[in-house]
Amino acid sequence: MRSEVEDHLREAASAAGGTPEAERVAVARFGEPRAIAGRLAAAALAKRAREVGVAAAAVIVFAYLAMQARLAWYALTQWGLSEEARAVSAMVASIDRVAFWLAVLLGAGTVWLAYRERLRRFRLFCGLATGALGASVLCDGILTALRLREALWSINAVLPVFSIAIEVACAAALALRLRDIVRRLAATADLLDG
Amino acid sequence: MAGEMLKGHLDMIVLAALSAGAAHGYAVIEEIRRRSGQAFDLPEGTVYPVLHRLEHAGLLASRWVTAESGRQRRVYSLTRRGHRALAEQRATWKEFADAIGGLLGGTRPSKNPA
Repeated sequence: MRSEVEDHLREAASAAGGTPEAERVAVARFGEPRAIAGRLAAAALAKRAREVGVAAAAVIVFAYLAMQARLAWYALTQWGLSEEARAVSAMVASIDRVAFWLAVLLGAGTVWLAYRERLRRFRLFCGLATGALGASVLCDGILTALRLREALWSINAVLPVFSIAIEVACAAALALRLRDIVRRLAATADLLDG
Repeated sequence: MAGEMLKGHLDMIVLAALSAGAAHGYAVIEEIRRRSGQAFDLPEGTVYPVLHRLEHAGLLASRWVTAESGRQRRVYSLTRRGHRALAEQRATWKEFADAIGGLLGGTRPSKNPA
């Protein structure tokens, strides 16, 4: 951007004679820097919001596949639960289901808002989707911990532990990207209002 | 011409300015000034957020070239989508202009303009 603006100003000054006065006029005719910077920031932010929206959708899909993979693994290895753990597991699984599908709906809304460049609503929806996904990942962690508590650490535990670790890492990465978007949104709003 | 009147049409204006061929930001502003008969005299920097936004939307493509001065220069051109978008906006604008003209002139716009 800096190279582009410099090229523009030099050409404008050169077209007007290349004098110091021509340079001053070229800078004045360019416009209010804060306003232009704000509009450029808004355009860049919209692009980032679309990327985060798509990343949120990808993380949600991955979380779903990881959950299904763990369930298939438990069935394959005949890895059962005690009566006591089953009751807790059922309750946590219900919360997990609600949180996950909430994350899916909010995630779809997030992607739609990102492509429509409605950035303030995008921030809200993305925050809520990330929160719901975080709750779902937390429930997955509790369900995996219940399984691991019941069984001795064995080679069978590798897949569940590995998949939950990646789920947590993906959800954390998404939360960090969202925090970055929120910061940029505040800075852009400041430039546009300023 | 009032800046507010231009705001909603900047995208179309920039696409139209680039319809003649690839150009850099300064040339786009000069082309707008020339083709509008000096009626549109925008703050020159306002063209850059529009160019970047249209590029993100896939309506423009850009590449860096070396200008005669030796400086690096970013040149924009319409993509196929950009040409289609401009054609659609031209048609919409013509319909709008005909309707307004009919209202202000007191005559009915033709349903099937030539």
